[in-house]
Amino acid sequence: MSVHTTDSNLQHSIENIMKNLHNESYDDWVTNFALNLSDIWNEKSAICLKPNINPENQSEIHSSIVIGRGPSLKKNKHLEMLANSDYNGSIVCSDGALIPVLESGITPDKFKKFYVATIDPYPYAKKFYDAEIVKKYGPKINGIFTSIVNPDTVNCARDAGINIHWIHSLFDYAEGKKSFNQISASMVRAKNHIDGLPGLQTGGNVGTSSWFISWKILQCNIVSLIGINHSWDEDDSIEKIITHGRTTDPERKHESVNIDKTSPSFKKLFKKIYNPEFDCNCIIDPLFQFYSSALKEFISRSPSWLKTINATEGGVIFGDKIHCMTFKDFLHEYNQ
Amino acid sequence: MKTNFKDDKNEITKIDSSNEKKDLSPEEFEKFIIDSGGKGSFMVYRSTKKDDELGIDEL
Repeated sequence: MSVHTTDSNLQHSIENIMKNLHNESYDDWVTNFALNLSDIWNEKSAICLKPNINPENQSEIHSSIVIGRGPSLKKNKHLEMLANSDYNGSIVCSDGALIPVLESGITPDKFKKFYVATIDPYPYAKKFYDAEIVKKYGPKINGIFTSIVNPDTVNCARDAGINIHWIHSLFDYAEGKKSFNQISASMVRAKNHIDGLPGLQTGGNVGTSSWFISWKILQCNIVSLIGINHSWDEDDSIEKIITHGRTTDPERKHESVNIDKTSPSFKKLFKKIYNPEFDCNCIIDPLFQFYSSALKEFISRSPSWLKTINATEGGVIFGDKIHCMTFKDFLHEYNQ
Repeated sequence: MKTNFKDDKNEITKIDSSNEKKDLSPEEFEKFIIDSGGKGSFMVYRSTKKDDELGIDEL
């Protein structure tokens, strides 16, 4: 068996593990959807954000910047660079980055095409919208939410004035008419949304979802990534790394962790990776392996007219069809 | 106890997109997810219709 086949099998196994773990929350998703349904009927589909353009026309640049919240944002001062630029493309902000992005001066007053996305169905995402600065700029922000997002989260965003747009997150559509994706889609189409909502591949995280939003909904033919490390810096604390960053979350840092740092598997779980594109080392944990493998696969499968530029200047997103450059060069080369 | 990975200069794993998970077993992955309490994520959608994996315009 080839290494590639072995790794494909392993990726498949890992994805099944994640699927089974997340399916434990299935009842919560159904509840979330039920509570969101009347709002979904009365609010917009994300398809309304789709411009009438031909992205395959390479003579016209339609670009977006996807903003994650990886450590490179602060390390490389990317938010300051963007805030001080005259970039005129779209900004697709992951929900966790929204508040620091706004606080840095990247606001919809200056950057008119400003979007934020939430795909996680868990209640903690509410805190990403619960701030005065979100209320200040909310009415000028287009938000994209999955139909199973926690209602408290989307209510908080709505109360802040964010313009709500809905999508479905794909997870069991392939299981047929009785799948939740298909049943919930039928319920959405029963009123107002006769054409339904876009069904989005999330790739397991909001950063990858934002890349798909840029491509599939905003029809961008240039998508740049910043803050999408999908890894830790090697000088991050070991406690931060083994808890997947939980030590920095005030709501969750008290939760105990049970990982044996002396076990034989420890160094297999937390590998140090050299990124030749940016000449740096980083640490990848199993969750980031799961995320990054999927994102890199989907980028490799994207159409030839779509150019993905990793301007994170760190992390593990490099490989097939991924163009790496500094964010400074991106802003210089692709400003519109 | 070391506090970070910076001193492990001899343990760099040179990867490309096809071999980065070498040596990581599904069991080890599952244990990490459970032990670290990893939340804030979702699943990857898979289908025998590969185009569907890239999204559905109208569902």
